[in-house]
Amino acid sequence: MTQTVGTDSLLDQALAAEVLHLARAGGADFSELFIEDSLNTTLRTLQGEVKDATGGNLFGAGLRLLYGTRVVYAYTNDVTPRGLRDLASQVARAQGGRGEVARDGAGGLDFRRVDAPPLYVARQHPLAAAKRAKLDLMRRAHGGAAGVGFVRTVDVTYLDRVQRVLVANSEGLWAEDERVYTRLIVRAIAQDGTLRETGMYGPGAARGLEFFEEKIPEEIGEEAARIANAMLHAEYAPAGKLPVVIGNEFGGVIFHEACGHILETTAVEKNASVFADKMGQKIADACVTAIDDGTIPGAWGMVNVDDEGMPAQRTVLIENGILKSFMVDRVGAMKTGYARTGSGRRQNYTFAPASRMRSTFIDNGTQTPAELIAGVKHGIYARKMGGGSVTPGTGDYNFAVNEAYLIENGEVTRPLRGASLVGNGAQDLMNIVGVAGDLSLGQGMCGSVSGSIPTDVGQPHILISEITVGGRA
Amino acid sequence: MTASTEQLSIDAARTYLLARATTRDVPLEVYAQRANSTSVKAFGGEVSEFKLQARQGVGVRALVRGAWGYSFTENLSRPALDRALDDAVENAELAAPEAGAALLAWGEPPSVDLYGEGLSGVGVDQKVRVALELEQAAMNADPRVKSLPYGQYVDSDREVLIGNTQGLTRGYKALHAMVAAYPLVSEDGQNKMSGDWQFTREFTELDPTRTALSAVEKSLALLGAKPAPTGTFPAVITGECLAELLALFSPMFSGKMVEEGKSPLAGRLGQGIISPLITLVDDATLPRGLQSRAFDAEGCPSAPLTLVEGGELAAFMHNAQTAARAGVTSTGHADRMGYQGTVGVGYSNLHLQPGATPEPDLLRGLTGLKLTGVSGGHAGADPITGDFSLQAEGFWVEDGVVAHPLEVFTVAANILDLLGRVEAVGDTVEWTNWSVGAPMVRVAALAVGGS
Repeated sequence: MTQTVGTDSLLDQALAAEVLHLARAGGADFSELFIEDSLNTTLRTLQGEVKDATGGNLFGAGLRLLYGTRVVYAYTNDVTPRGLRDLASQVARAQGGRGEVARDGAGGLDFRRVDAPPLYVARQHPLAAAKRAKLDLMRRAHGGAAGVGFVRTVDVTYLDRVQRVLVANSEGLWAEDERVYTRLIVRAIAQDGTLRETGMYGPGAARGLEFFEEKIPEEIGEEAARIANAMLHAEYAPAGKLPVVIGNEFGGVIFHEACGHILETTAVEKNASVFADKMGQKIADACVTAIDDGTIPGAWGMVNVDDEGMPAQRTVLIENGILKSFMVDRVGAMKTGYARTGSGRRQNYTFAPASRMRSTFIDNGTQTPAELIAGVKHGIYARKMGGGSVTPGTGDYNFAVNEAYLIENGEVTRPLRGASLVGNGAQDLMNIVGVAGDLSLGQGMCGSVSGSIPTDVGQPHILISEITVGGRA
Repeated sequence: MTASTEQLSIDAARTYLLARATTRDVPLEVYAQRANSTSVKAFGGEVSEFKLQARQGVGVRALVRGAWGYSFTENLSRPALDRALDDAVENAELAAPEAGAALLAWGEPPSVDLYGEGLSGVGVDQKVRVALELEQAAMNADPRVKSLPYGQYVDSDREVLIGNTQGLTRGYKALHAMVAAYPLVSEDGQNKMSGDWQFTREFTELDPTRTALSAVEKSLALLGAKPAPTGTFPAVITGECLAELLALFSPMFSGKMVEEGKSPLAGRLGQGIISPLITLVDDATLPRGLQSRAFDAEGCPSAPLTLVEGGELAAFMHNAQTAARAGVTSTGHADRMGYQGTVGVGYSNLHLQPGATPEPDLLRGLTGLKLTGVSGGHAGADPITGDFSLQAEGFWVEDGVVAHPLEVFTVAANILDLLGRVEAVGDTVEWTNWSVGAPMVRVAALAVGGS
């Protein structure tokens, strides 16, 4: 499919102003309109044959009202002048139909465009590329994994999404953005008799198909195959409290789950965060500096502007162990008093924005991975992490290890399967005692109150002095 | 794309697409859905979030030379519908032909009333009152309740329409209201959170106070936790927790996973796979099931299906196509994540049948674990192998008496081994909001990772 990428606005300014005013007829302090027109493609091959070919068009409008810090949100797919006027009247009435005129009268809004030049411009736009070209990338990735060692089954998924958005609000903000995402995910299943193990690798970027000139499809397949083979004949991991060295790139999921979510004002504002009253205090060892960055050009977690129309920022969360900032959206700023950080994000028009992570990582330290491993007498090397989750109120988290090894007397020895790590974010942050210098980012989808959004996790290799390992041996 | 284009209704969109497909001689299936929903959250004694949702769209599936191509659109203007049809045909031309691919005109579905009196005439004020009552009841229940960070009222009025160029047209409406409460409780610097929920098809049956009290009770029970031991212990698993595990491993029973080589149950029909005390059923026709439906995502009529009978693998779940390839007929388990999804295979209301043992008898004489919850299943459970290693919540039991809650720990096993070690099955089925139900069971051994 070839399609012209339009530069026309998604909505006429006069209509936007009218809708924003109508919505405030119930006495709201603030109104915000979010319009989205997204096109996505999903292709999946199994054993090299196309199993699923799908995609489509998300098209809708969301309207947010703030009464103080109370949020009223409504959305519809009826993005016609009548549909938008109906939506505005409906949300105004939802607050009791007082029919008050907005305080600033009924005049038009003098919209100001947000001046935020794109951080990265796709060279091979997914809407300009033929689906055959996308299938070629998948076949190359399949080829990298098929038949390697014990790999019997290879499943490849290609995803792209082009999201055009408009954010307009009653303060006169007018922000338009186009977000381009591409991703390739390979799952390799290795099999030997009744033994079976899966290896998964799925890099992505806020770039066009040129991303795969850097991230070679064959190598994505090879990495998935390597993990499946490495784990196939692994023994079950031991259970109990052990020191753990966690690998770089997707290893950063530990910080994302254990600490990232409780540094979002979404958790802080409800007092559902153990870090709520710790600003300026030491919450980690001095070797830990952690950053949430929306400004890395072409990164999976990049935002030109956030979903509240604010230009991206780089936010230092923890500096040498001291808590420096939360991740703050508009409502979070009102509730906590901390300045907004351009962290208001949402999956699509069906969600009100909330403070969310972008590219979140532990910054480089001074040691080497080998030095960290050498310091462990009996522990685990968690080279590739799976996903995880956290209970925000308590900070208790869990995640799976996709590739793990035993460390004995400072050396990596046998592969281990079935390891998961559980712990408590605030406690384990204090237990990070070593940080290497090989920072790298990995890509994931992060699910929370405002839906599932692309985020990077990342870190160099780190050493945690003690963490609960859930194995069976 | 402009905001002034006329939008059709989902019914008109279905008619338009089927007519266009017939003209172009393209075999086509249309799945259209509309949902209106309200959710209300209360915090600090007032409404903190109020959400009105109106969402609709159509998904199409074209069959070209034996291959399926999909597309969907939420823009229901005629040009956008034409583009969706074009895309579906283009996608089908890329895809591999699939044996058994066909569009069928199925027989009449059973009559299942999922609409009831429901929400007709329920005003916004009443919904707001439920949310406020929920929060207030939780806050008043005990001084150790710090807040209700996750609690809300949600309702939904939904319509699904299906049609295909073989002449099939059918639809249903479903309605529900629910409340959920997850209070944060705190004592001596220890924070805990658990919760409860209620699902109903009649607004008047909602009892927010009871849900809040039960959620508080469950959360308070977790306070005073002590470190869990590491080792292998006998255990009881609550119905709620077992249901969560069953949900994670339900893909094992999918005919699609079987043919893709991703189910450890492949080739084991008729064999004893787990304890003879266990019978597992999926039934889409339960009037009060969360995922009840008169017909599946292809329009195939629903009927109860026994997957495991007395420990023996009795059937797999199938849609039309996986059934054709396996040489059976569809079990009515075609499943899709709304109009955006592709047609796969999925359960509706999966449940383990109650056994004969009252719950107090399951605990009798037990020194070991009472497992009440697991989390992290999206990463720590592998339905391809059956292995899991998960964050767990539970209690230590000393000679049949619950002694104290346990600090965060893990449990690990293979689900088939675990279900093979079931020694007794409780007599009361508990349902989870995953639409899976189970009674409490006792197992001989479970590996625990603690301090």
